Amino acid sequence: MDIRKRSLALFYCQNVPQSGIKQRQALEKLYGPSIKLFPLPCSGRLEPLHLLRALEEFADAAYVVTCPEGACRYFEGNLRARKRVELARKIIASIGLEEDRVGIVMNEKERQKSLADFAKELMSRVSGLRPSPVLRPRTGFEDPERKQGDKL
Amino acid sequence: MPRKYVIHTKEVPNRFKAISRSGVIAWEEGCLKCAVCVKTQCVYHVYEHRSLDPRQMIDSIDNECMNCLRCVQSCPKQLIHKAINPEYKSLGDDYWTPDIISKLWYQAETGKIPVSGAGYPGPFSGPNFDSMWTDMSEIVRPTRDGIHGREYISTAVDLGTKKDHLDFKGMELVEESAPAVVAAPLPILLRVPAFGAFEQETIKGWARAASRLGTFLALPAEMNPEEAEAPQSCLIPIVSLPQAQSGQGNGHSLLVEILWSEHWRKAFERMSKSHPGALICVRVPFLKGAEERVLSVAKNGASIIHLEADFHGRSQQDETLLVRDGIRSAHLALVQEGIRDEVTLLASGGIAMAEHVAKAIICGADAVFIDFPILIALECRMCLRCKEGLSCPVEINTAPASWVASRVVNLVGAFHNQLLEVMGAMGIRDARRLRGEVGRSMFFDELDEAAFGQMGYLKEGYELE
Repeated sequence: MDIRKRSLALFYCQNVPQSGIKQRQALEKLYGPSIKLFPLPCSGRLEPLHLLRALEEFADAAYVVTCPEGACRYFEGNLRARKRVELARKIIASIGLEEDRVGIVMNEKERQKSLADFAKELMSRVSGLRPSPVLRPRTGFEDPERKQGDKL
Repeated sequence: MPRKYVIHTKEVPNRFKAISRSGVIAWEEGCLKCAVCVKTQCVYHVYEHRSLDPRQMIDSIDNECMNCLRCVQSCPKQLIHKAINPEYKSLGDDYWTPDIISKLWYQAETGKIPVSGAGYPGPFSGPNFDSMWTDMSEIVRPTRDGIHGREYISTAVDLGTKKDHLDFKGMELVEESAPAVVAAPLPILLRVPAFGAFEQETIKGWARAASRLGTFLALPAEMNPEEAEAPQSCLIPIVSLPQAQSGQGNGHSLLVEILWSEHWRKAFERMSKSHPGALICVRVPFLKGAEERVLSVAKNGASIIHLEADFHGRSQQDETLLVRDGIRSAHLALVQEGIRDEVTLLASGGIAMAEHVAKAIICGADAVFIDFPILIALECRMCLRCKEGLSCPVEINTAPASWVASRVVNLVGAFHNQLLEVMGAMGIRDARRLRGEVGRSMFFDELDEAAFGQMGYLKEGYELE
């Protein structure tokens, strides 16, 4: 299965290992327009609004990658991000979307993973989702499932 | 007196939200709900009308924040932090720094001189042009007060040959001895950058900007837009040897550029036959021994020589060769030969800021080409994605020509004003007299050598205790 068939908005803390501009460009090259990467100064910067707007505008799913628990540079940034993601999940569930369209992945203290590992993992997780009914079918986007016009 | 050369600028908004240095981290959790919140006290009302640009995920608080840090200092629970925006940090590279890029954006948007604020924290020296200090001792003279001064500071330069004497036959001037020059109102010429996500529409915009400014745009001959879209007199077609032999290019150009190669004379002769009215510029790559090449080209009849460095202001071959030194040695070689005024020396590569224009001229160039700044004026982020075949994040290819032209006019307007400020502060009233004025500048490496050279050198791999 092609893991590039759903679009993903991936927010990540700039302290996630190997998440510099070079690695970012390599990922964009690998996955094409189906991934959009947004570095954050700290994952605690994230608000539910970021995730919801991403789902509204261009993404089938929006995920956040943060530092390991207890290793945030601003002490509680990633814990706060987790709470906000929970809130965003509740909101989208209340309008009938799958909760899995939004999520958070925390790095592990012992075995730190790189941004590329996360991107691969999340892209394959997201490819199992059905196309987002929120997004209008775009012209020129060859997705037969989406063209049929999913309705809630 | 001729009319004062003024570049009229007006604000041209960005098409995309600019990436700013600031990254505000403001948390709600644990808020004490103070009666008077620091967020309501923000003098710039940053927190009041907050919005999010969903395409780029740029929050308006970052773009409007002026970094006064009042909210950070005053929140009793310390819920507001500030960090540097990671997107900002990743702009450009170590030569085209985020600071340079964002200031070029500002100049292209507003047409105003960027002001960095209270105090300059340094660094005071760096590689290439950054190690040059200009003597601004005349800054106290109010009549030469740069852009607002009452004395006219001229930035006009001549491109072409000026003979060392005139010949007369009776009362008539012998035509061969007359100077063959093209005048430019400012020592800044535009040049199509080596790469970028630009289209024909962008080039049209650049050509229009060049014609509005009265300067020139150098572009490969095959990119030349139609006559109706841009006046040909402001274009410098760059013609390769095979193109010259097939008789390409049209007769309206005042200047034509050919590339240096072993057989450059052939192209030169060919072009002077097919373009009798045009001045021919020979582009010499900045490699080792470029000054000798410049000298031989000058002696063989070229009237304009363009010394081209790479986009980091270094030699294409050897990274330790800096364009600053290249211009200086080419200039001095011509001076020593006694033919400096018979040729015009143009420089390009690594001109990233307005001060680089003045500094390149001080080193000995008559005028400079700017290439990447006119791309950055169109919000380019120097991410080099276009080189990799990825999409342009700011879609330069869709920019309309009128917007491109106005942005570039703004940028060059700001550069021109800064040149006036520098020249006013140096007490120089004519850009032609700024050329080679190394007496009014200091080179950090030379001062360093003079002051501390005799103390010995630190060997590589060793450290001072």
